[in-house]
Amino acid sequence: MEILVCIKQVPDDSVEIHLKSDGTPNLDGVTKVANAFDTYALEMATRLKEAVGGEITVVSIGEDSVRDALKNCLAVGAEHAYQITDAAFDGSDSMAKAELLAKAKAKLEKDNGKPFDLIFCGFEATDRASGQTGAQLAAVLNAPLITSLVDISSKDGKIVAKQETDFGYNSIEAATPCVVTVSKPEYDPRYPTIKNKLKAKKMPIGAFAAADLGVDASKVGQGAALTHTVSFSEPAQKEGGVKINEKDQEEGARKLVAMMVEAKAL
Amino acid sequence: MDQNKNVLAFVEVVDGKPVNVGLESLTAARTLVEGTDEKVVAVLIGSGLDDAAAKVAASGVDKVVVVDNAAYAAFALDAFTNVLEQLIKKCNPAYVLAGNTPLTKGLLPSLAAAFKSGNVADVMSIKKDGGKIAWATPRFGGTVIASEVIEKSPIQFATIRPGAFEKPATAAKAASIEKESIAVAADALRTKILEAVKEMTEDVNIEDADIIVTGGRGMGTPENFKLVEKLAEVLGGVVGATRPAIEENWAPRSRQVGQSGKIVTPKLYIACGVSGATQHVSGMSSSKYIVAINKDEEAPIFNVANVGIVGDAMKILPVMIEELKKVKAEA
Amino acid sequence: MAYLISDEGAELLESVKEFCKNEVQEQCKEYDRSGEWPKAIYDKAIEMQLHSLEVPEEFGGPGLDRVSIAALIEQMAMADAGFATTISASGLGMKPVLIGGNEAQKKRACEIILKGGFGAFGLTEPGAGSDPAAGKTVAVKDGDSYVLNGRKCFITNGGIADFYCVTALTDKSKGVKGMSMFYIEKGTKGLSTGHEEDKMGIRTSNTCDVVMEDCRIPAENLLGEEGKGFGIAMKTLDQARTWMGCVSAGIAQRAMDEAIAYGKQRIQFGKPVLKNQALQFKIADMAIKIETARQMVSYALTLMDKGLPHTKESAIAKCYASDIAMECASEAIQIFGGYGYSREYPVEKLLRDAKIFQIFEGTNEVQRIVVARDTIGRY
Repeated sequence: MEILVCIKQVPDDSVEIHLKSDGTPNLDGVTKVANAFDTYALEMATRLKEAVGGEITVVSIGEDSVRDALKNCLAVGAEHAYQITDAAFDGSDSMAKAELLAKAKAKLEKDNGKPFDLIFCGFEATDRASGQTGAQLAAVLNAPLITSLVDISSKDGKIVAKQETDFGYNSIEAATPCVVTVSKPEYDPRYPTIKNKLKAKKMPIGAFAAADLGVDASKVGQGAALTHTVSFSEPAQKEGGVKINEKDQEEGARKLVAMMVEAKAL
Repeated sequence: MDQNKNVLAFVEVVDGKPVNVGLESLTAARTLVEGTDEKVVAVLIGSGLDDAAAKVAASGVDKVVVVDNAAYAAFALDAFTNVLEQLIKKCNPAYVLAGNTPLTKGLLPSLAAAFKSGNVADVMSIKKDGGKIAWATPRFGGTVIASEVIEKSPIQFATIRPGAFEKPATAAKAASIEKESIAVAADALRTKILEAVKEMTEDVNIEDADIIVTGGRGMGTPENFKLVEKLAEVLGGVVGATRPAIEENWAPRSRQVGQSGKIVTPKLYIACGVSGATQHVSGMSSSKYIVAINKDEEAPIFNVANVGIVGDAMKILPVMIEELKKVKAEA
Repeated sequence: MAYLISDEGAELLESVKEFCKNEVQEQCKEYDRSGEWPKAIYDKAIEMQLHSLEVPEEFGGPGLDRVSIAALIEQMAMADAGFATTISASGLGMKPVLIGGNEAQKKRACEIILKGGFGAFGLTEPGAGSDPAAGKTVAVKDGDSYVLNGRKCFITNGGIADFYCVTALTDKSKGVKGMSMFYIEKGTKGLSTGHEEDKMGIRTSNTCDVVMEDCRIPAENLLGEEGKGFGIAMKTLDQARTWMGCVSAGIAQRAMDEAIAYGKQRIQFGKPVLKNQALQFKIADMAIKIETARQMVSYALTLMDKGLPHTKESAIAKCYASDIAMECASEAIQIFGGYGYSREYPVEKLLRDAKIFQIFEGTNEVQRIVVARDTIGRY
């Protein structure tokens, strides 16, 4: 099983992001981390690889900081890593990113003489939560798409995906090549072992620029984007209400119920 | 080719009923056409859609298109994508809307790609600015809202955030319902649903609930979490949970409230042992009346609560349960 | 400020930090109450290979310099000192083999660790704490075997180790010169664990008696030669003490971090309490002590890496760092006020955790004897 996993770097989602005085999001000092759902995708891919054999290649679009995320991927299951980077790519929208990922996939397949069987993406990124890139990559590749996976298995050239639904799950079968997007599985991504981390540090990370991928620079980047952010704002702060802070907590609880009754909240 | 016009709104149907956010997207659709002669066309795809179609037809739309076929009983992504693609080609809409659900999240981006058009996800509000539409969408888990415009696109695609728009009032006059039979070529169906498993014994959609009692990490143990369930039972509400509580398996995933779970807007929301991380708050802050119970008086949940109580949920909940039983008995 | 470490160390530090934040710090609060040994956490740590940091590269270890390892151990100590103690005590258990053992013995012990096992070191006995010469455990040679009898107490990892290095007298007439060091694996007949201590602090580490009753081991399990046991034990402690200094500095750092975080948000008289210079000076004193302790640990470890004598420096590092850990924990409680004394807040645990570091692996009084002897010289 040859597997491609697409990773996006996002601002650490445990940090609350607010606006700067110039009205743009304040990302100063916020560390960049691999998108949580992408790390779930890599873990799921790694487990699949461990079960059926094969290799995992990770790719990420972005500036040099993505190399850190890629290096981490090499310590927790991936064999190869490539950064997709070019000044022309800045400001690309999801559609352009899907195009870039498709081009990188094609180049890797040509260089290595081996097609990818499965393409994993996180089902959304924690910064925009739009979940578009994976779906659009499937569209660009004209490959089947299965979203919101919580597990996957493979047999006889077909995959069976466990798709999370509101009331349980769907078991979905598809032939490869196929694009899947991953939600939160029951398991957590593994931590890198000390030795794998040290080994990953020495592994090469390739880089693809526009020329390597044969990308028409006018079709990607800010200029080609179909969506533009015109302004940012912060949600209106709800006024905090009454706070009961009684020494006698039971008395406080009775007061609380009385207030709920009075407010006709029941 | 004529200029694209009208709004096509895809309303997802689950168990024969249009989902709430699907209906809410019709209100968003109405916003887009207000003051123009453009129409709102609702699209339903599935099997056994008569009741759902009647409901949607009375929801302030101009027309309902129903693609009713046993083949579409389950939401198969590639079949639905294909059907909608054919419909869009036929109708040439200026906008395609859908409620933001896990399934439409895969659907609209694929369609947007097919029509080389822009797509905005999880729209919280719509502003008309001259000829342009500004779509407000959350970023970074909801602490920031980005206003986005779609350009260079024949069609504007958008998914609507649950709870962001009111459900349309029932219209006096129902719109016409047109049945379309649209087939999907066999080779376009590349994924096959082997089985659809319902793990939940009860069909509770917390998005529909009027009263939600949510437990967070602060509940500490599965035994303590039972107090949350008890309080919900006494109030006739349903149990919600934060992501940490879900990860501890105290409640099923379908009960998760927050950015990566459900966006809820009940009449009463009680948060027990919930600190109030942005991820969670963005999913419940539009509730009508919010009660917070937390032992940390600095917990951010108090900033969104109408009334909060500082203290140990394990001590407070039993008293609340008893008191509320009395209130209910008196009522 | 922190340890000056290699690039490799810095990358590992990020992973360890994340691991401790997600898997150790919060979880250990509950285990601190119950006193249960948190196997699930240790299993995860083993999977990540955190317990094998000190295995030498030639035997399959990661090959890190000691100061880099210290940065990682400190991170673990900041999350939970008991956790760091278990990890570090495993290294302690391995040291007698590395110091006194032959190649086969070293390979064997390292293999056990790499496969996910822990080691333990047994010197102390009920009647022989600071005075190891008063030990009563004996080993009698019998053909190709030694037969051991005796009781070791306060053994860190005693109940969970996969192998033990214990001292026993092979010649009672010679005192410490008749002491030898033996390697015993878990499951050996006659080896058992006894009373488990219900400790004041480091409650996530296991401490218990290790009992040998006609415990027969192959003669080749002698480490080094007969009569060399005390020397091996002292060299072991010379190294190990610095690591206890490292854990102590971690406790102190955590205390300071908690004090700063609380002092910034606690409002009294309309302003954060940390706006008071009196409290700022407390923090400054903590920082001065912590940095000093850390650099002493670093210096002792660098001497070890270079193969230079380090007895005095190691004793200073352990003694100073554990003393200031107590001071910092106590001051952190002071800054928290009444809340600091409550179990709901994190700082009282730090004081309970810190205390043992003034006692075990040589009391701080013994450390001062070592430093005095080394400083004054024989006269």
